[in-house]
Amino acid sequence: MSFLLPKLTSKKEVDQAIKSTAEKVLVLRFGRDEDPVCLQLDDILSKTSSDLSKMAAIHLVDVDQTAVYTQYFDISYIPSTVFFFNGQHMKVDYGSPDHTKFVGSFKTKQDFIDLIEVIYRGAMRGKLIVQSPIDPKNIPKYDLLYQDI
Amino acid sequence: MAPAQRCPLCRQTFFCGRGHVYSRKHQRQLKEALERLLPQVEAARKAIRAAQVERYVPEHERCCWCLCCGCEVREHLSHGNLTVLYGGLLEHLASPEHKKATNKFWWENKAEVQMKEKFLVTPQDYARFKKSMVKGLDSYEEKEDKVIKEMAAQIREVEQSRQEVVRSVLEPQAVPDPEEGSSAPRSWKGMNSQVASSLQQPSNLDLPPAPELDWMETGPSLTFIGHQDIPGVGNIHSALIFFSGATPPWMIQDEEYIAGNQEIGPSYEEFLKEKEKQKLKKLPPDRVGANFDHSSRTSAGWLPSFGRVWNNGRRWQSRHQFKTEAAAMKKQSHTEKS
Repeated sequence: MSFLLPKLTSKKEVDQAIKSTAEKVLVLRFGRDEDPVCLQLDDILSKTSSDLSKMAAIHLVDVDQTAVYTQYFDISYIPSTVFFFNGQHMKVDYGSPDHTKFVGSFKTKQDFIDLIEVIYRGAMRGKLIVQSPIDPKNIPKYDLLYQDI
Repeated sequence: MAPAQRCPLCRQTFFCGRGHVYSRKHQRQLKEALERLLPQVEAARKAIRAAQVERYVPEHERCCWCLCCGCEVREHLSHGNLTVLYGGLLEHLASPEHKKATNKFWWENKAEVQMKEKFLVTPQDYARFKKSMVKGLDSYEEKEDKVIKEMAAQIREVEQSRQEVVRSVLEPQAVPDPEEGSSAPRSWKGMNSQVASSLQQPSNLDLPPAPELDWMETGPSLTFIGHQDIPGVGNIHSALIFFSGATPPWMIQDEEYIAGNQEIGPSYEEFLKEKEKQKLKKLPPDRVGANFDHSSRTSAGWLPSFGRVWNNGRRWQSRHQFKTEAAAMKKQSHTEKS
């Protein structure tokens, strides 16, 4: 399950992961290992990680241990998944209010695979924002809180 | 209407009769044609004073078109190996037919009268040119003679120095050669007749060249190195090359050479890296983060390029905004605490 995917526990490690992933989509899951939704997401991530090994590198980040990134990425709900490519952040329009990250878990493995593929193709073409292929029904709903509230 | 007439300068047929010559177009054509001809004539005029004589080159066959006479004129006069620059042109310009033709041309085309003089060469000028031509020829001959003499002196010098070297090399070799000849039979058994002949050969070779070299004076410049005795190398110069089985100098290993596992070419890791680089080249060049330096060292406070949720402005400013916000929050919490 989640012990198959590499874990990052400090800002330095996250920096290292961002800088070292070359020509592959970097998937950073921000959350806690015990949280049930996180567990679901981690399941999907680990089952697809070998198939996507040529296109993506997946890492799990603990939000309690990297406070800087929790604030920098404005993470208010867990799990949140952020995508990078060659050190550049990739935005995806899921139909949800926040394009910078994916909040919640995926419904099926195929959804995740499709999303990674779309991000990879967009990145190869030089696009920093792509359109999500996932059906809006399958995207978890949440309310985006303004930061000062 | 006047009868159709052809103007050779404009290369056109016109019906204006004599009026065509005063038209703007014709005058313009006339001016351009004269401008084209003028530089050649000026150059020829300069040559009157100082005639230049040069060695013949196929380019000197070039002909110049004389506008007034309507004929081609050979520019330079050449005879045998030499050419007088602008000789032909000057000759033509001085001739009486050319004078008549020029006058006619000027009258018919109504060109400027002052210009006419420039295109004519008087017979006195031509005579002056002839005189300077003779002088030019003389000076050219002198120059040629000097060059030949210099070359001859150079060749003589080189020959002398060469003979000097040969003499100096043969003299010291005449002494050790008999010694080498006698050491040969020790290393080679059973070939005594050959050895004996090799002994005699160097001594024979010595005698004929030595009396020839006696009459040469000592030349300058070459440093004498003399006969160098390198162990195991001798006998290369003898008539029987590689007779003693000695290794030639270029096959002797360097002292610094570390015998053993010195593989040439890149190591395995380097090869793998090269493969990676080749793959990278195949990727599209305008992909996201193509110029991202993966191996750069970043400080502890480095933040990646992230377009935040609540920032106002460009993506690259989000980092800056985050830092200012963080600083503001810290100050707030400080003031709250205190």
